[in-house]
Amino acid sequence: MMDLHAMMEALHLMATSMSSWGWIVPGLIVGLVFSAIPGVSISMAMAIVLPMSLYMDFFPSVVFLTSVYTGAGFGGSVPAILMNIPGSPTSYATTFDGYAMSKKGMHNEALGYALFASTLCGLAGYVLLLFVVEPMANLVLKIGPFEMFAVAIWGMLLLGSLGTKYATRGILAAGLGVLLGGIGMNTAGFMRGTMGMPELINGIAPVPAMIGLLASGQLFNLATKDYILDAESSREVSLKKILAGCWGTFKFPGVLVRGSIIGIVIGAVPGVGAAVGNLIAYSETKRTAKDSQTFGKGNPKGLVAAESSVASSEGGSMATMLALGIPGGGATAILLAAFMMHNIVPGPSFIQNQKPMVYAIILNNMVQAVLLLVVGIAFIYAACNVVRIRTRYVLPAILVIATLGTYAVEGSVSGPITLFVFSILGFGLVKFQYPVAAVVVGILLGRMLETELLRSYQVSGGDLLYILHRPFALAIFAMMFFSLVMTMIGKRRQARIEAEEARMMRELDAQVLAENGR
Amino acid sequence: MRIRNREYTLDWAHLAFIAVIAAYVAWYLLDARSVSLARNNLLLLQPLALFILLFCAIVVRQCFRRADAKVEEEIEEEDPLAPTLPIGRELLRVGLLGLAFGAMVFLLNTIGFDIAIWLFALAAMLLCGERRPLALIIYPLAVAVCGIYGFKALMPYPMPTAIL
Repeated sequence: MMDLHAMMEALHLMATSMSSWGWIVPGLIVGLVFSAIPGVSISMAMAIVLPMSLYMDFFPSVVFLTSVYTGAGFGGSVPAILMNIPGSPTSYATTFDGYAMSKKGMHNEALGYALFASTLCGLAGYVLLLFVVEPMANLVLKIGPFEMFAVAIWGMLLLGSLGTKYATRGILAAGLGVLLGGIGMNTAGFMRGTMGMPELINGIAPVPAMIGLLASGQLFNLATKDYILDAESSREVSLKKILAGCWGTFKFPGVLVRGSIIGIVIGAVPGVGAAVGNLIAYSETKRTAKDSQTFGKGNPKGLVAAESSVASSEGGSMATMLALGIPGGGATAILLAAFMMHNIVPGPSFIQNQKPMVYAIILNNMVQAVLLLVVGIAFIYAACNVVRIRTRYVLPAILVIATLGTYAVEGSVSGPITLFVFSILGFGLVKFQYPVAAVVVGILLGRMLETELLRSYQVSGGDLLYILHRPFALAIFAMMFFSLVMTMIGKRRQARIEAEEARMMRELDAQVLAENGR
Repeated sequence: MRIRNREYTLDWAHLAFIAVIAAYVAWYLLDARSVSLARNNLLLLQPLALFILLFCAIVVRQCFRRADAKVEEEIEEEDPLAPTLPIGRELLRVGLLGLAFGAMVFLLNTIGFDIAIWLFALAAMLLCGERRPLALIIYPLAVAVCGIYGFKALMPYPMPTAIL
């Protein structure tokens, strides 16, 4: 199951790559700070720092980006607990009980619960990844181009249908992404959609397009606000109470295990991700709890369930990205782009040929999860003030960094121009509620999808009934259909849960107001 | 707008957005067909483009909303993550920021990265409401200097600048 020789080599690689150690804490801080700012998501944070990683060696660059990913997983919970504003969509379920605890004056304990659940379950996700990555790669090696095509289509459809309230807009966005990803010369030598621009022969530059879609396009919206968030006044932070919360997490082993399993499984499905996982983990914990009536009113179990699922989903989505080379969402799409920038294609052959590197990446993520505990506690002290930064200072700085970053990646002004064009597209997509991540992943996978389909076509000799000889592909298409139906049902269920939580929060607010009035 | 005795509101901006996407996809398809009609060229592209055009047509329906349904929907909106989007004067501010950003990008090589970045940072601060002269002098300058020297140290490509 695990290659011990490769593991020893991985440890040696980690021990000798001192620069990679140096990038862990800065990465965690970047992730924590960015995702604590409401409106700045995990993928935005990673997109902004992506060009910096181009000038690092491969291993330190992956360490840096995964550290940002790890930090951002917890960072979003801080405003969720303190202000009822999820820093990122992955922290939505955290607000249900986290903010209710905060209202009762238990914000320190709530932060402790969230931080420790993140650390423990982040570790659990990566321990599991360590054991399954090789068998997964062996399995993937046995599948052909048509199956790869089917898996990619499945991921795209899920990403499109889950990323927005309107499934039709999501599927349209995913299709548009794939179409844009196919611009330039295809594997058969035909050149399309370049508008006569030589810069587009090899396709749209993915990094500037990604930064434009995920970051700068959405940052324009902040121009209308004086502060990123008109936060409530800072709350007193107590290390003793945070540690008490951390210790309290051990009281709910069942919740931790259930949340982790849900997070890993949901995270591993391309296109689903932590934003859905935390809601499912929360609702499952609530459904099975004896004290379910106290959920939404400050029950730590709800908080632990949501956070454990978010943290462990990182390991699940990394498994899919490493084994299949298919990103599950915006954050793993950026990791995939970082691999590509270093001319490395993740997938089964990468795992087979670079086993020590794969193990080193996983082991380093475990180190990050442990360090998050220390850096996270220090960050909580500063976090209350992060959201009170004025947009007039943040906005120009981030947009300039994004522009210079894309110039650094492309080496010409075509990078910033691509950034600008995709910023406009990104703004439009957000404004009209299309899932931006679906377009991003489509751009990244478009060429691969077309190549795999062409190969399948050539292998089958143009026979449409070829699909009947590929039972695995048929199974994937059946699963695709099943998961689309489940998505529709899940969306209705999610809407019901959200409405119920909103009603409970209103009741709690009214109760607090009544008590204050007495 | 009145259709079959029912009052509808039309989301013109969304309709325009869909029209742009549909026009682009149609152009892309025609461009690909003009290159070659071989299956190796159109195998994925043609069905995908037609599929997108079909979905554009479906989404167009969502641009029309019954006037009475709109009020109910506004009351139902509880999601704190639902995008809060600018309208009216705020949209104008976002539009101007976009224009300033575009001007910077297209002027980078012409007037130099340093001047373009300084001008953009100044314009962005003004658009975001900064009026204090000291902040307007110091901050854009700091962004330009840190950005230029930081990235010059980081990357091997030449960066055309006027002063720095």
